[in-house]
Amino acid sequence: MAEIIARGVRFHVQRLAARDQSSTLTRPVVFIHGLGLDNLSSFYYTLANPVAHGGATVILYDLRGHGLSERPRTGYQVTDSVADLAAILQTLNISGPVHLVGNSYGGTVALGFAVAYPERVASMVLIEAHVPVPGWAEQMATTIRGIGSDLSEGELGRWMAQNRKYARLAEFGKDLIHHTTFVTDLLATEPLAAQKLRIFTRPVLAVYGEQSDVIHHAHVLDGLLPHYTLTVLPDVDHSVLPKATRMVRTIVQEWFAAQ
Amino acid sequence: MTVEQILTEIRAMLTEIIGAEYALGLDIGMDTSFDNDLQLESIEFVKLATMLAERYGDRVDFVAFLATKELDEIIEMTTGEVVAYIASCLTLADATDG
Repeated sequence: MAEIIARGVRFHVQRLAARDQSSTLTRPVVFIHGLGLDNLSSFYYTLANPVAHGGATVILYDLRGHGLSERPRTGYQVTDSVADLAAILQTLNISGPVHLVGNSYGGTVALGFAVAYPERVASMVLIEAHVPVPGWAEQMATTIRGIGSDLSEGELGRWMAQNRKYARLAEFGKDLIHHTTFVTDLLATEPLAAQKLRIFTRPVLAVYGEQSDVIHHAHVLDGLLPHYTLTVLPDVDHSVLPKATRMVRTIVQEWFAAQ
Repeated sequence: MTVEQILTEIRAMLTEIIGAEYALGLDIGMDTSFDNDLQLESIEFVKLATMLAERYGDRVDFVAFLATKELDEIIEMTTGEVVAYIASCLTLADATDG
């Protein structure tokens, strides 16, 4: 297993070699997964291989506290996630611009990275990206606390305990929510630096589900990003990646073929 | 390598991933399913893919094998499907080398 140390934390990283050497896609594509029970496997089984076959070197990693990466007690602010990504790329000797693909909170990290290091982003694909608008952090913290409580004392926890796979996920979720600074760090999130996004000149593709609870974030981005393309998928909620995999795959493949 | 030898190696890898204690009550054979029987988490399956790559190297392109399958097909796979794929790759590699 590929493990690297960045910012003193052990990260699980997967690197897929480009399959089509004739491709003009010379920059690596970095996938950033969502929060909580998500990890790099959601991209590994859906978009990573097709993008590698399209000719890009692909990097996937588990966020700190997630998947097979280490779960330290602290360091869960969005700024930490952005610093982690920068440190991981540095450890992998990737210094030039990269294409970022973020799902849900992974999109939040991609946006934060683009604000902090605009020259290091070739393009972004934001799938159901959460945008830290005012009030977002409080809403997320409330949702996550609710999940934590349901995992510990509610029906969800009892149901998950019956199956090894879900029991492990539940234990992971409880530890992250109850025994790290995950929730308090989320609450400390600063609203997105909108003025900095307005001068981000690289192309951005956003994919949202028509019935998503964060569809309004798609329209917030529309007003900020100069080179913004939005695709809204009908009859899909926030779970665009697992529920509309084929559609998302086609959209993302076409996007990278055009880069 | 024979199919039985490959199965023995895969069984050892799976036991390491799910833990010897949980594996104790299971008889991991060709029909064992990753989802129903082993209740493997999707990230644990990534771990298996990495272990296979470390063990068999370029002779077995497991990433390409997974690329042909949808998520639900991967989840529902059996040990036997993985063993059969590895056996076919090794046979091909031997034939090419020979």
